[in-house]
Amino acid sequence: MIQVRHLTKHFGPTVAVDDLSFEVQPGAVTGFLGPNGAGKTTTLRLVLGLARPDKGTATIDGVSYQHLRAPMSQVGALLDAKSYHPGRKAHDHLVALAQAGHVPTRRVDDVLDLVGLTDVANRRVGTFSLGMAQRLGIAAALLGDPPILIFDEPVNGLDPEGIVWARKLMQSLAAQGRTVLVSSHLMSEMALTASHVIVIGKGHLIADSTVDQLIKRTPGAVVRLRTPMSQLVLPRLESAGATVQTDPDGTIIVSGLGAPAVGDIAFQAGAPVHELSAVEASLEEAFMELTREDVEFQAHDATSTAARPAPPPPGPAQMLPPTAPLVP
Amino acid sequence: MTQTISAQATSAGPKPGPLDTLRSEWTKLRTLRSTPITLAVIAVIVIGLSALITLAVVNSPRRGTRAIDNPVSIIQSAWFFGLLAFMVLGVLVVTNEYSSGLIGPTFLATPRRLRVLIAKVSVFTVVTLAAGEVMSFINFFTSTAIASGTTRFVDPAIGDHNVLRAVVGMGIDAALAGLMGLALGALLRSTAWSIAAGVGITFVVPIIIAILPSSWGNPIDEYWPTQAGSQLEEVTRQAHSLTAWWGTGDLVLFVVVLLVVAGYALVKRDA
Repeated sequence: MIQVRHLTKHFGPTVAVDDLSFEVQPGAVTGFLGPNGAGKTTTLRLVLGLARPDKGTATIDGVSYQHLRAPMSQVGALLDAKSYHPGRKAHDHLVALAQAGHVPTRRVDDVLDLVGLTDVANRRVGTFSLGMAQRLGIAAALLGDPPILIFDEPVNGLDPEGIVWARKLMQSLAAQGRTVLVSSHLMSEMALTASHVIVIGKGHLIADSTVDQLIKRTPGAVVRLRTPMSQLVLPRLESAGATVQTDPDGTIIVSGLGAPAVGDIAFQAGAPVHELSAVEASLEEAFMELTREDVEFQAHDATSTAARPAPPPPGPAQMLPPTAPLVP
Repeated sequence: MTQTISAQATSAGPKPGPLDTLRSEWTKLRTLRSTPITLAVIAVIVIGLSALITLAVVNSPRRGTRAIDNPVSIIQSAWFFGLLAFMVLGVLVVTNEYSSGLIGPTFLATPRRLRVLIAKVSVFTVVTLAAGEVMSFINFFTSTAIASGTTRFVDPAIGDHNVLRAVVGMGIDAALAGLMGLALGALLRSTAWSIAAGVGITFVVPIIIAILPSSWGNPIDEYWPTQAGSQLEEVTRQAHSLTAWWGTGDLVLFVVVLLVVAGYALVKRDA
């Protein structure tokens, strides 16, 4: 189990990680999400003892990384794929790492086979594509057969086949009871890979929940209702506490109430229902909504001047009341 | 990967020790083509260029009949470049890992960073000392063979007073130059800055000292580490200089202090 407690890290005046606390449990793939510059890599570097926190602690099964007995056999990590000397052969690169971690060197052939690099084992890694580099990085992380795995943006540069492979690998590692923490800025990828997500923005925790919960509780979930007698339904919806907006084509967009409740209200009002559908937010939308305030490099509308902040993006989210924070 | 494992990490396998780090660092040095290539290039320079210079000196038109009084330093003249190359080699042992990003996996495998530094220093010292001594002896015997029988040289024999010390000393100074580079690399982490600092310490400062008034310059020159260390390469003691072994001690102390500072920085700084 990975435990992060009140972790804080400054780089000069910039707060990279801001009082961050979370836990990562075994047996599941946990997605670690945030826009670029949110502090994901810094957090992972703090967990792995490569950087020193200003405040707070990061522990692995209760100990800091520096105090692990056999680091490579306890935690495997892929931080930056191209973390190798370009002049060294893939096999030799892994042998050097295995020796340092007191891992039997026969594991090198096993992990090369596992990631599909056996054929290029004796090629100098400087010739590797980014996708092959990622596979080599994953192989290095798996050398010690560790129960805890940390991958920073592992699917970057992988081809579609490689992405599916990586996804299956991570899920199978989790199914074996391992702790798998995978960072990504691609919510869509995490929706397919992870069952739990930790979302950060500007270094602080935004959400820590299962993927399903996150989607359900996102203010993107609305109910679409079409009825020719909307004047009968609208007051009842509003008195039931829903926020309502009517589209130009007459569709009523209801938020704050589920589809069954909206259907019941329409029935009680005696209004014929032509369409009633629950529109679920995608994880992508949930992510965008959650991190909208925390994106470091916000692109502004091309027509707006630099001095004027861009208007909030349109969409159902904007007319909705803010929801309770998702952090338990 | 097919075997199931417990979710508890605390029961993990055998604890890696200093020997594992040493083995890993030896593999790293051994598996890079650039290591033997660089050493071969250095050998060609110090042996070949020294031989050429010796040849030029013994065949130069005679101005008087006086023999050259410090033949060993003629024989070792190309080591000026050799020591620089050893220093660069030492810099690269560390800065290569920073520029490539390998330092990450290195410290993940061995979070005790001092252990990594000590292993690097150990492996590098053995390799450069061995290479330096082999080169120095080949250099000596090649160039004395070229000079033998000519009148400009009083042929130095390896058994002559302090000659063996000078030949062995050049190998030692090669390793020390490399270690200074290694320490600077660990301290500065950038190849360019480390080489610049090494060149500054070894070559630029002595030039500045030389243009100072001698009442200031001589005492500084006497104790300036690389100047003091080079006394080991001399057959006869120079004016205003430490003895060979005190001078070597001065350089060794300097390199050790640099390494200690580098080790402190390595532990304290973020990787």
